[in-house]
Amino acid sequence: MPQEEIDKARTIADSAIATLRRLEVPPTPANYAIWYEYHAGMSPNLQRTIDVLISNKAVFDESTLQDLYSTFFSSAKEAQAVRETSVRALQTLQDIAGVADFAHHDAQAFGVTLRGLASKDLGETLDNLRSLIENLVLESKRMAGRSEYVGLRMRESAGKIEALERNLEDAIRDSSLDGLTGVANRKSFDAAIRRTAGDAMNSGDDLALLMIDIDHFKRVNDTWGHQTGDAVLRHLAQTLQKAVRGGDHVARYGGEEFTVILPHTDGPAAVTVAENIRLALAREPLMLDLTPPLTPITVSIGAACYEPGDPLAEWVGRTDAALYCAKREGRNRVQLN
Amino acid sequence: MRPYIAQRGKVETVFNSIDGVPSEGLDSNPIPMSCLITDDSSLVRKIARKIFAGLGFEVDEAENGQVALQKCLNRMPDVVLLDWNMPVMDGLEFLKSLRRSEGGRAPAVIFCTTETDVDHVQRALANGANEYLMKPFDAESLIAKLDMVVTRR
Repeated sequence: MPQEEIDKARTIADSAIATLRRLEVPPTPANYAIWYEYHAGMSPNLQRTIDVLISNKAVFDESTLQDLYSTFFSSAKEAQAVRETSVRALQTLQDIAGVADFAHHDAQAFGVTLRGLASKDLGETLDNLRSLIENLVLESKRMAGRSEYVGLRMRESAGKIEALERNLEDAIRDSSLDGLTGVANRKSFDAAIRRTAGDAMNSGDDLALLMIDIDHFKRVNDTWGHQTGDAVLRHLAQTLQKAVRGGDHVARYGGEEFTVILPHTDGPAAVTVAENIRLALAREPLMLDLTPPLTPITVSIGAACYEPGDPLAEWVGRTDAALYCAKREGRNRVQLN
Repeated sequence: MRPYIAQRGKVETVFNSIDGVPSEGLDSNPIPMSCLITDDSSLVRKIARKIFAGLGFEVDEAENGQVALQKCLNRMPDVVLLDWNMPVMDGLEFLKSLRRSEGGRAPAVIFCTTETDVDHVQRALANGANEYLMKPFDAESLIAKLDMVVTRR
């Protein structure tokens, strides 16, 4: 393979990895293949479809990624493109092995391992790329301990692949749920707010948003420790889920801040839901055997309704402003904007 | 308020002129671009009309694909904003019929729908949609798409 092509494949691979990171897409073999193809520019239809998704700020969730893969990589027509992609993906790996060939004899063994892996028949799905990467990370770790002759480029590549592996684990773990509280996470909130606002724009139905923030949460952490803080977060998440209806969407927005999206709900009805949450916390407090005893947990809540045609960020901003107002007015209260 | 002028390319230029910043060298007798908003939601039509009218477009509306097709055959608009799910004739059927009609390749078609999955996007583009806007939209996101189809043509 000419050096020029190796460099080109490497550039594409780097761009693909960078894009996966930027869009918070789990770097699975299938996703890597999608973005390698996207940056290689060999498939205009794939490129246009992804450009539409990106320009619409679509969330690249699991089902979207699966659809992209099955649409553009599964049909007979696209099979050739996939074969080419898998060959190119492997060439970047072989490129790394190529560097190793010129290094110490330990590195040569490393190169042989890689070439052995690369020559395996991978079929058309790239499903084995992940195990290839795993082996590569393992081998490069072994190498780092034994040889001083590992090329800089190889170390860079191995580091990149290892980071990819870490991201993969992280991304799969928190794909749509918040790990601590079990409610939807921020990414899931972003998708839900677009979905519900789109429906409200079509139907003209009411749509409200609550932003809920735990009062003096820092004091809880400082006085009783982070484990207690985590228990408080979990308790609030459970309280929220009990207080809402089936179509409502509860999410942890970040830190000690939660959101509830309320379809078919106007301003006064949203205030009622918010008051119910506030009262439920007072009625059923978190019971922990602590010294000193845990002070009652209260929340401040901001509420605002969606105005179709307004940017979503403006709506979220108004809700946040209402929350800030509730805090400023003395906390443990609801404010409608 | 100045009409939207296709040959100026960027919508931004015209937008500035609306905000009171005079754009230099504009045609003294421009022909406004026309737009057909096709959506069964009167709220969506109202929001889109306000944005297009603000840009100086000549605006017409249709509540389904069949009405839109009749209007197009009567007179082709420059831009069609097109919903997907509508009674009588949906957006994709309209698009297929439009592209087969005489002069029907000329209008820039921007799909505007709550459908966000890969399959819908891919089918829209494959059948001749120029752009794809996901609901909810606002002035900024609609103008960004408009900008794409105007500069691209």
